Amino acid sequence: MTLDSVLQAIEPVLRTTALGAWVRHSQWAWPILESLHFIGMSLLIGTIGLFDLRLLGFARGIPYGALHRLIPLGIAGYTLNIATGFCFLSGTPDQYLFNAAFRFKMTFMLVAGLNVVFFYTRVFRRLEALPPDSAPPFGARVAGAVSLAMWIGVMSAGRLLTFFRPPYA
Amino acid sequence: MTALSTWLRESPSLWAFPFVLILHTVGLAFLVGANVALDARVLGLAADVPPTTLRRYDVIMWAGFWVNALSGVLLLIAYPTKALTNPLFYGKLLLIALGLVLAQALRRQLRDAGPMSPLARRMAIASLVIWAAGITAGRLLAYTYSRLTVDLVG
Repeated sequence: MTLDSVLQAIEPVLRTTALGAWVRHSQWAWPILESLHFIGMSLLIGTIGLFDLRLLGFARGIPYGALHRLIPLGIAGYTLNIATGFCFLSGTPDQYLFNAAFRFKMTFMLVAGLNVVFFYTRVFRRLEALPPDSAPPFGARVAGAVSLAMWIGVMSAGRLLTFFRPPYA
Repeated sequence: MTALSTWLRESPSLWAFPFVLILHTVGLAFLVGANVALDARVLGLAADVPPTTLRRYDVIMWAGFWVNALSGVLLLIAYPTKALTNPLFYGKLLLIALGLVLAQALRRQLRDAGPMSPLARRMAIASLVIWAAGITAGRLLAYTYSRLTVDLVG
């Protein structure tokens, strides 16, 4: 059983949902969902992205724990983008499932997710105890660099989706 | 200029039109993101962050702005007719100008001691609405144009 054969089986299931049909046939669904997807992206980068920069030693002096309280807004953006992204995927699943840029995007998101686990299990607790002016420890720099690189990768691969579309069936 | 326009539009290289689009998207995320963070702080989120310290991210906001001014000019050079014949494009530029003026004015209102003034809070709400509207106007440009290029009228 190959990845493609699994995706071939999933494709018609997604496409024939009521959600998929609505996204495909409504005149304004797609533009509105895209606008929301870009707003969610801005919420994510404005909180998680700025926190990543802090982990890299930028904006030193802002306490880590205090700045971290912006993160729920980033999670809200992430959730909005999972929801709107699932709408796109349901609308034209073949355009994403068999698209190299989409696979890169999902891989970057997976690495970003694993990095979140690394950050909260190995880095965050020790970070909160540090004075705000101290240099970020090595683990924090790694977590910040990986997160920033992955989210820029997610945005870039997302923008490249249209250039790697398989031909319409 | 015409050669650059043609290259941006017709080059099969990912470093032509696709790369400019990527720059415009990443720049947007940091420009609007830095404003979202400050607006959210003014509205009471992350109350332990001294508001003026968030101005250390102003340079990120302006980097995002200049990346987008430059990439935006390149997108305009690639498809001048598409944007210039769409009233929404001028609406988008107006919203960006408003957002930047408001960003500057709000930053002058920041105080680390005491609660935020009602004026600062109203400015933060207006800023969030304006950037969301600017993003929406920008996205809709891809769906509301009447002429893609001069040659293809019809």
